[in-house]
Amino acid sequence: MFTMQARRVALGVWLLAVIVCIVIIARTRLETDMTAFLPRSASLAEQVLTEQVTRGVAARLILLGIEGAPPATLAALSKSLAARLRRQIAFAYVANGDDASLTGTRDYFWRNRYLLSPGVVADRFTIPGLHAALQEDLGLLGSDLGALIKGSLPNDPTGEMLSLSQRLARSPRPRSQDGVWFSAGGRRALLLVYTRAAGFDIDAQQAALAQIHAAFQDSRRTVSGAAAVRLVESGPAVFAVQTRATMKRDATRFSLLATAVVTALLVYAYRSARVLVLSLLPVASGALAAVAAVSLGFGFVHGITLGFGVTLIGESVDYAIYLFTQTMHGDSAAATLARIWPTLRLGALTSIVGFSAMLFSDFVGFAQLGLFSITGLVAAAGVTRFVLPDLTPPDFFATGAGVLARPLLVVMSRRQWLRPAVALLVLAASVVLLAHRGGFWDEDLTKMSPIPAAEQRLDQALRHEAGVPDLRYFVVFRRSGEQVALAESEAAAALLERLVATHTLGGFDVPSEILPSDRTQRKRRATLPDAGELRARFALALAGLPFRPGIFAPFFRDTAATKRARLLTRADLPAPLRLQFDSMLFERDDGWNVVAPLTDVADPKRIVASLAASGQQGLTFVDIHQESDRLLHTYQREATLLASIGSLAIVILLFIGLRAPARVAFVVAPLAASVIVTAALLTLNGGRLSIFMVVGFLLIVAVGSNYCLFFERLYHTPESQRRSVASIVLANLCTVSAYGLMSLSGIPVLHDIGVTVAAGTFLSLIFAAIVSVRVPLERLVGGEAPHSLAGPP
Amino acid sequence: MRLSRPAAWLAAAFCAVLRVMPALAATPWTVTRLMQALAQVKSVSGRFEERQTLHMLNAPLVSTGTLSYRAPDQLQKITFSPFPERFVLEGDRVTMVSGPDQQIHSFTLAEYPEIGGLVEGIRATLAGDLLTLDRYYALLLTGDAANWQLLLRPKSAGLTRFVKWIRIVGSENRISAIDTEESDGDRSEMSIVEDVHNAG
Repeated sequence: MFTMQARRVALGVWLLAVIVCIVIIARTRLETDMTAFLPRSASLAEQVLTEQVTRGVAARLILLGIEGAPPATLAALSKSLAARLRRQIAFAYVANGDDASLTGTRDYFWRNRYLLSPGVVADRFTIPGLHAALQEDLGLLGSDLGALIKGSLPNDPTGEMLSLSQRLARSPRPRSQDGVWFSAGGRRALLLVYTRAAGFDIDAQQAALAQIHAAFQDSRRTVSGAAAVRLVESGPAVFAVQTRATMKRDATRFSLLATAVVTALLVYAYRSARVLVLSLLPVASGALAAVAAVSLGFGFVHGITLGFGVTLIGESVDYAIYLFTQTMHGDSAAATLARIWPTLRLGALTSIVGFSAMLFSDFVGFAQLGLFSITGLVAAAGVTRFVLPDLTPPDFFATGAGVLARPLLVVMSRRQWLRPAVALLVLAASVVLLAHRGGFWDEDLTKMSPIPAAEQRLDQALRHEAGVPDLRYFVVFRRSGEQVALAESEAAAALLERLVATHTLGGFDVPSEILPSDRTQRKRRATLPDAGELRARFALALAGLPFRPGIFAPFFRDTAATKRARLLTRADLPAPLRLQFDSMLFERDDGWNVVAPLTDVADPKRIVASLAASGQQGLTFVDIHQESDRLLHTYQREATLLASIGSLAIVILLFIGLRAPARVAFVVAPLAASVIVTAALLTLNGGRLSIFMVVGFLLIVAVGSNYCLFFERLYHTPESQRRSVASIVLANLCTVSAYGLMSLSGIPVLHDIGVTVAAGTFLSLIFAAIVSVRVPLERLVGGEAPHSLAGPP
Repeated sequence: MRLSRPAAWLAAAFCAVLRVMPALAATPWTVTRLMQALAQVKSVSGRFEERQTLHMLNAPLVSTGTLSYRAPDQLQKITFSPFPERFVLEGDRVTMVSGPDQQIHSFTLAEYPEIGGLVEGIRATLAGDLLTLDRYYALLLTGDAANWQLLLRPKSAGLTRFVKWIRIVGSENRISAIDTEESDGDRSEMSIVEDVHNAG
């Protein structure tokens, strides 16, 4: 049908396109940042959720436990391991409770106490204020705490360090034994390791974990009696790395298995190596074009788009199957294509239209998937149309395909009797769906999590032992500049302090506690009297108290030093404090976000009310659990909406393509039936639907519509119809075996999509065979017995 | 655990004593016997008067209150004057309520060796726990059963930084005074009058 020249042009264009795609893909940035799957119009609360999940300090934490030996051995190992990790650039901060993990912070607060302590107010440095402070000191000195404050008293008679350390000590700490942190009972030595890389950077996290393992092995060799010691680990990074490894393993295993099964089926059907390779051409070209298009359109490709997208364009494997299997004896591939192209085109278009709804999604991730699948299917259909026929061997006939179709031909020959059965089945399924109690959606996020329950329990245990609070509640706000944000943080701290006093919450962290605003620092510095003035006042304040004269010289030295000192900036913070500070105050989109974690929240409602009543603008209370639940709901709504719009678009397209309502009904009825029956099967016995299953429903419609269209169309000869049935059966066998294998995976996303698509497309095949076929049976059977239908004429 | 295996305990204690003070091992009133006697005491409480001589002050500080011990590891010191204060040791956790606003502090002994070594020495003596005492301190017992003095000198350099010595004075299984000197020369002399003594 083409001239020789036109064929050459088509082949040349295809080759050129493949090269261009490869060049684009080679320069493509692959991202795994989950923010792409957050709404584009994210609220501050949603941003907080993402920041916490991806960049925040909580996402960089790796909890380590060392167990299986007496405490002294574990302590030695903990010290050795910490020392090794501290030498490595990958770790921002390694804490195991030894001196090295605490001195940085302690020194910072001690050296800068007059700029940091809220106790530095004018009253405190008057003669009566100093006298009262000294009287308190006297009481403390005689108390059992005396030994603790004795060392610092000459430097700090106003007790600034004591009030600072009381605020710091509010967060729970693990208990110490042999100089390092231990779980209760000394069973497990505990370490907290913070990576320099962000939580979403899974490659870096994986490298960091490998470094930890290597360092642990080295430490175990150097500490005697440590041969049997184990290292347990947990934290977001550990989960992310494990999940990715499991996903990779499962995906690889099941796609290899699926490839083997599909290859076996195609080898049986085609009995030609060349055609086997050719049948992969459309899907491979489609994937290349899709990645390149997403890369051009978005500037990056998300890892999830890549994984999911290939699943979505999987139906393009069918295009080649339709072409090769429907080629009859003495027929050329080009002639076959000309015959089936209108149906194939409409089938591809229905999928394209179905997926195109995703383009308009609020989620960048969904939009990428939309572009990916559309480009992929267009390219695959194009390759099937313009490239495949000319590469197909001239006398090709899919010898083995006919046999595969026989059982379905039997079903088709009985379809008059089976139609009521389908109607009954749909009715029963509808009853199941209507009788379903307690919502269709699975709202338990942990069930969507691929992390095994035992790992989750270990995480809970380590967090509890290490005193790492469960960061669930936050107060957040946004200001135009860093200093404004810090000033607001000081105001918020005063408000939260009152809530702590009324036991509405147990504690909180704000960035201004680590680094006060310049204005506050300046004010505190100005509050300190000049050296001469201070000495004079102090001498009078000492009257009547038994302190020996002259012991407070360090106090005058330190205050004078503060008067001369410059203001503190972020650069002055030691590693652990900078880590904490950066996760509480960060710049995003021309604004500064403050995220202040709250601990031991007793009454969320009262906090919300207090924030509202405070008159401070824009203070928002965020419950991370609620936010993630809401996000899940948004996903569910979005997925359902996209699937519904997609399905509607498909129906409209079918009206345009088939031009007759009756024909549309023949195509749509089996699809609707298979989605309903699949949904009923999935929710039988109180089962719930996951968001992944909705994606599966869309795939059922996309793939199944091709079946219906091929069943529904009219054929010139019974033989061409039989070949058509054979091609559909072959396509369906490939789909069902590939997705069926995927459903064996323990990972929710793979399992859910696998089981939904495998069941749904199989039902589509059966229902379409029973419902969609319009020609009279005699024409189909062509006077022959059904069992010989598949053979050559 | 230790008491359920008296033979092992005695052997261990004996070895410790032999190592600590071989000269006294043969005399009838030994550290071992003192410890056995003290270990009999299940609970005890009394009033104390503490007189502290601190290098920062030019006059001694005097405080009064009550002291109580309950086997095996609870120690409580409640001060009435000059400032109310409460110190409770349970296991290795210290809870203190002190200061003008009666603030609560909670920490473990290991976190504050400044307090830890001292407190552990006193509690181990009250408990008759020779193994613990021997780990931290070199022991020297003088006098006889009716009037003994036990001197504890820290063994480790870490502890020496804070405590020079602790002297515990008593008669049989009753304790009448605890004196300490810290490394900076600060001293405390505490006299105790027991009023409840349960050696059940």
